[in-house]
Amino acid sequence: MKILILFILLFHISYVNADEIYNLLKIPNLEIYKLKNNNKIRYLSAKGNFKIGVNKNITCDKVNLNNLNSKFPLIEKNINLYNSSFLNKIKLKYIIFCQNLFISEINTGGIPDNKNRSLILDINFNQKYFERMIHHEIFHMIQNTHTKYFNEDKFSSFNQTSFNYSECSTCSDRLNLDLYENTDGFLTEYSKSIPSEDMAEIFSFLMTDKKTIKDKISKDKILSKKVNFIKSNLAKIDKNIL
Amino acid sequence: MIKTIKASKSEKVLFIFLLSLAIFIFTFFFLLKNKCLFVEKINLNTLKFNEPNNIAVMNLECGNVIIELYPDISPKAVERFKILIKQKKYDGSAFYKVTENTFVQAGDIEYGNINNLDYSKIGSGKSGLGLLKSELSNDFIFTKGSIGFARTTEFDTEDSEFFITLKEIPIYQGEYTPIGKVIRGLDILGKIKTGNKSIYVLRPDHIKTFRMLKSN
Repeated sequence: MKILILFILLFHISYVNADEIYNLLKIPNLEIYKLKNNNKIRYLSAKGNFKIGVNKNITCDKVNLNNLNSKFPLIEKNINLYNSSFLNKIKLKYIIFCQNLFISEINTGGIPDNKNRSLILDINFNQKYFERMIHHEIFHMIQNTHTKYFNEDKFSSFNQTSFNYSECSTCSDRLNLDLYENTDGFLTEYSKSIPSEDMAEIFSFLMTDKKTIKDKISKDKILSKKVNFIKSNLAKIDKNIL
Repeated sequence: MIKTIKASKSEKVLFIFLLSLAIFIFTFFFLLKNKCLFVEKINLNTLKFNEPNNIAVMNLECGNVIIELYPDISPKAVERFKILIKQKKYDGSAFYKVTENTFVQAGDIEYGNINNLDYSKIGSGKSGLGLLKSELSNDFIFTKGSIGFARTTEFDTEDSEFFITLKEIPIYQGEYTPIGKVIRGLDILGKIKTGNKSIYVLRPDHIKTFRMLKSN
């Protein structure tokens, strides 16, 4: 009886659309979108909805190919800012496209996964912040693979002593991604959530809008210190990224 | 005087039906059920190889699969593979992970032997020889019949498990350590029992024997 239950359990759990990509990345229902690229990144897309994670808490829907085709040039342009050596250092090889990405029922633009060398992107994420979101998520992969360069205590020490970050990125209402007119140490409201999001926000602007950063740091000493911290530590990984 | 009774028309139809049924049942059970019926039989004595030291013969239910190993591409992996073959560790190894027309995987020495299958641990067994560093090749394309060392989601975790691709899988390029290629008997691999849509196979097919062509 025990063996029978074990069999049922085993074959129930492993009942997925098992294919070669699932075997590699442990994400079902993916297909190749574009494989050959100069920086050796590989693009995959969801041909069906999928649920992954320990408690299947990450969900995403299949892509509409017309939708993806229209957005891909913009995505590719941004990903091409990274060379293959850098991508290798931050353990990013697969960009996975899907629509309506949720983690624990919270809508998100991207989910980085250094272990699987992949970044899941929601191609339906707000187009106003879409480019920045890509780089924001890539920064998390940079930080995860180079924690010694992006020490959060040191980074937090640049803030005014009266300021405190939230406990976690989603347990506050500091979620707005619009650029502050008056930065006062933070580029966006979301920057105030936790140190890693603050760093990721700075990095995303550095990759998409250097001029704005230059203007802002000329009038904001705290922000200037933060930007220099990010730039100097990124240079230790790759001098040509910024 | 005995009267000859002629079979009626309906009795003749019934007889033909029963005869057809018997032929169908015989064909189904003894011919069609024999999955190895149309598989090419390979006679090793008629084959010539450029590098016989790198030829391995995997004997399955439907016959021999001839494999050429590539020590120039993955020296450490091929060395390990040869050691395990010579120690007969792959004999009885189950193809427990099979995706139809895509790939077959075997080689779990600890938990994947047909005589000692452990479904709760299969895929996590060790050879006892330690883990190997991945020998990745950006030039090696996994085409139909390519053989690679399996690993966990991490690199440098190769041990004894291997897979054989049943179609070209370009995404595996640079992801897995190549070991060699099937040069004869690919159709035999296509007959290996699949897990339908499940990645794992219940009551799997297995390797009967696995030997190097030359034992030196």
